Amino acid sequence: MNRTPVAVAIGCAVFAGLACACGERPHAVWQASPPGAVRTVDSTTAALNATREPGVLGTVQAAPVVGWTGPGNRPFEVALRSSAPEAGHTRQFGTIALPIALRNRSAALSQYPCTSCHAGRKVVMVEKRIGDAHQNIKAVHPARTGAVCSTCHAPENVALLALVDGKRATMDESYRLCGQCHFAQADAWAGGGHGKRLDGWQGRRVVMVCTDCHDPHKPAAQSRIPFRAPQIERTRSHDRE
Amino acid sequence: MHLKPFLLSALSSATSGGRRYHVWMGSLTLIMLLGAYAYSVQLRHGLGVTGLSDHVSWGLYISNFTFLVGLAAAAVILVLPAYILEDVDFGHAVLMAEAVAVAALVMCLSFVVVDLGNPLASWHLLPGIGHLNWPRSLLAWDVIVLNGYLALNLIIPFYILYSHYAGRTPDKKKYLPWMYVAVMWAVSIHLVTAFLLAGLPARPFWNTALLGPRFLASAFTAGPAFVIVLLWFIRRETSYEIADGTFAKLALVTTVAAQVNLVMLVSELFYKFYWPTEHGINARYLFFGLGEHHALVPWIWTAIALNVLATVALMIHPLRRNPRWLMPACATLFVGIWIEKGIGLVIPGFIPSPLGEIVEYRPTWVELCVTAGIWALGLFVLTVLVRVALPIELGEARSPYLEAGPPARTVRPRSTRARHEDVRPVRTR
Amino acid sequence: MSESRKDGTLLQKPVDRRAALTILAGGALIGAQALAACAPLSVETDEQREVKLLAWREHIKGNYRFMTEAERSETIARLERLAKLRRGEDVTIQSTGAQPGVMFGYAFNISKCKGFRSCVEACINENNLDRHAATQYIRIFEMEDGEVDLELGDATFQHEVPAEGHFYLGTQCFQCADPPCVRVCPVGATWQEPDGITVIDYDWCIGCRYCMAACPYWARRFNWSAPEVPVQEVNPNQHYLGNRARKTGVVEKCTFCIHRTRQGRLPACVEACPTGARVFGNLLDPDSEIRWVLANKHVFRLKEDLKTEPRFWYFTD
Repeated sequence: MNRTPVAVAIGCAVFAGLACACGERPHAVWQASPPGAVRTVDSTTAALNATREPGVLGTVQAAPVVGWTGPGNRPFEVALRSSAPEAGHTRQFGTIALPIALRNRSAALSQYPCTSCHAGRKVVMVEKRIGDAHQNIKAVHPARTGAVCSTCHAPENVALLALVDGKRATMDESYRLCGQCHFAQADAWAGGGHGKRLDGWQGRRVVMVCTDCHDPHKPAAQSRIPFRAPQIERTRSHDRE
Repeated sequence: MHLKPFLLSALSSATSGGRRYHVWMGSLTLIMLLGAYAYSVQLRHGLGVTGLSDHVSWGLYISNFTFLVGLAAAAVILVLPAYILEDVDFGHAVLMAEAVAVAALVMCLSFVVVDLGNPLASWHLLPGIGHLNWPRSLLAWDVIVLNGYLALNLIIPFYILYSHYAGRTPDKKKYLPWMYVAVMWAVSIHLVTAFLLAGLPARPFWNTALLGPRFLASAFTAGPAFVIVLLWFIRRETSYEIADGTFAKLALVTTVAAQVNLVMLVSELFYKFYWPTEHGINARYLFFGLGEHHALVPWIWTAIALNVLATVALMIHPLRRNPRWLMPACATLFVGIWIEKGIGLVIPGFIPSPLGEIVEYRPTWVELCVTAGIWALGLFVLTVLVRVALPIELGEARSPYLEAGPPARTVRPRSTRARHEDVRPVRTR
Repeated sequence: MSESRKDGTLLQKPVDRRAALTILAGGALIGAQALAACAPLSVETDEQREVKLLAWREHIKGNYRFMTEAERSETIARLERLAKLRRGEDVTIQSTGAQPGVMFGYAFNISKCKGFRSCVEACINENNLDRHAATQYIRIFEMEDGEVDLELGDATFQHEVPAEGHFYLGTQCFQCADPPCVRVCPVGATWQEPDGITVIDYDWCIGCRYCMAACPYWARRFNWSAPEVPVQEVNPNQHYLGNRARKTGVVEKCTFCIHRTRQGRLPACVEACPTGARVFGNLLDPDSEIRWVLANKHVFRLKEDLKTEPRFWYFTD
């Protein structure tokens, strides 16, 4: 830990410069840090990530979470929903791109935004009419819980979610709706034990919301064929060709 | 001043011989060439040409290595009485045993080198320009003890032979301290190699306190057994005298060690199978197989059968004293220990893997050829060493610069008694 | 970074020694070239000569851990050039050091993992794993409910997952706090970095595979033959201690995607996991997600009795 003082000085100077440029107070934890002390995230990390590849944190639009705080009572953000490819639901690994959520989001959002049909009209929320326009909706979750459309959707405004206390939440705030019953999951989600954080362990904490992974009408994970199984026996050289 | 004629005489002893000698050396050379070719294939394509895998990452090479360390260490059983306890009987045998140690060590080091994936980087082991992770890594210890033991076993016999060649009595003060070192060292090479395996908590099959003692027991079985056969051959083929007492004592050592070895095997089996735990699964694979995987089962039972048969034969006095029984028993024991300690010790440690996956191991032709080549190399080295040592010890080869140059033969009659007075290294004055 | 600088200055002696070695090597090379010049048939292009020279310089270089910053950038320049000349790859090799005050930890939610193996796919691509040998760092075991014995698990499942009555448990390098693999390496080619990642200098490894025998979690892989990655599939974002090109006869392992995590990003497996079963973060940060999991969930580790202190925990919802 007896680093050359020059290096520390340079390090501090550089960091202070960076931090000031970003309008943050420089932290003094560059010095030998006792366990527990941490270098707080410099926002340059996120900027660095953004330049690296499309779709990573720097380009993700996010909004602060209302009503929950993350570990250490720190505020955090949720990624905003969008059907655009850079919305952050695909990531580049080496030379391949992989979806990072349980369900493929853009397909499920083929009818989004709701106002494209429901503009200015009050929604008739009758169970039997669902099949007409929303054939993609398999209402497993409502069927099992005895819910109807209006249990979650605001009848007066289809773009809003209805909470039990009469308040309204936007579609990007599904955690407020789901968390009403699934409070344990919501706590874990806020803490980091449930859900997905996007891109960095460091830098601003942006997480995905409930509906990014769970289809709200059919929330259980869908089964699928996994990526190829490992080859237990080693490839022998004569196996070539 | 005698060095040049010594080397020339050694060269001529090693290169001259009857037809059988040349056929023997020729076939060894041929096998070595085959091994060299196989190794070149391995160098070109990587260790992928062997039967090894991420699951069974050590195989035939390291198996032979662990076995041969035992053979090398066995020289101590002769060195100890001959030089330090001044037991008359072993005087003639000890140089041969040291030749066995040298040959075994050459094989050991060769097996380690051929097992390296990146042999060009082996200079990284050299302290100074490389980085030897000593004392933390047991492999670093092994590198040191093996090379040290090789040096000891080269230098001491060289000094004694050279002194005899130059017509001097070797100076006890000069070599006896090194003899003490060599005795400790012999035990250490064995224990270090055992600890190399026993120190791995990842492999419960090896991670047992019994491993070190078992290594020693098997070493003192296989080593003297090999030396007995070698000495018997030398006595039959040359005029070099080896007293009957030598065989009797060596056979006794072999017998006791073989018994101890069996006791330890039984203890191991009881521990693993009376109450089989998770940690006994490798032993289960070795002795009984797991499902359709049972490649080692016939080997280990063969080894146990050979060991038990040979040990029982050795335990019967009339049989042990009769060379017709002693020689086959020793050879059987040697093979039995080779299977038990080579194949039956290293390979099952890897099957199943720490995550419970079972991949079996089957050596390829490359491994078999390289292994055969290294054994041929070891036998070659052994033959050359014995060949060089014999004329000197028989008094046939003597430095031409010796004063009062009567032919050596007349000075040293081949009576055992006379030789003892003159040549015996540790005789007190 | 500072850690490595310290090492470099502490060990001034080997550096000088190495310089001497380089001069010697240069002499040998000139000799070899003079020999080659005498051979009428050998038509060597400038590029081939450059490759030879670079390869030789690479062969006689020292252990990365003890290199000075200057030596590190030199070897990286050589490696990048060699990748271009030999395989036509444009790669960037970092030497990013550990951040101060960071110790990486990992948690795996066995209630969440559904056995999709997206992590495996991402890992292969991110870390330039040998496609010919089908090397994989991650194993996902399908376990029957009520069993935590890996021997009863099956890693080769290839059916629709998740299967009824089963859960999934993933293994990889657990970056033990007291790694047996590091202790046993005879040449110090593998060591633990200040941020807790156990790394290998592939160019210093002699390929004895003692570390593979020593690992209780079967986390190490060997290059039995020359590793193959199609040029168009090579991830050019590399780290000297991580996913750069390996060679025949050396050991490799998971490095928690050192080229990503040292820049504040998540390992590829964590990022690719569609179920959020993987949590990664800084153990020294009491406000990190990993610390939240350790404090609020019931966790366990594999083979804790071996006292290697893995920094990889399993937990359930």
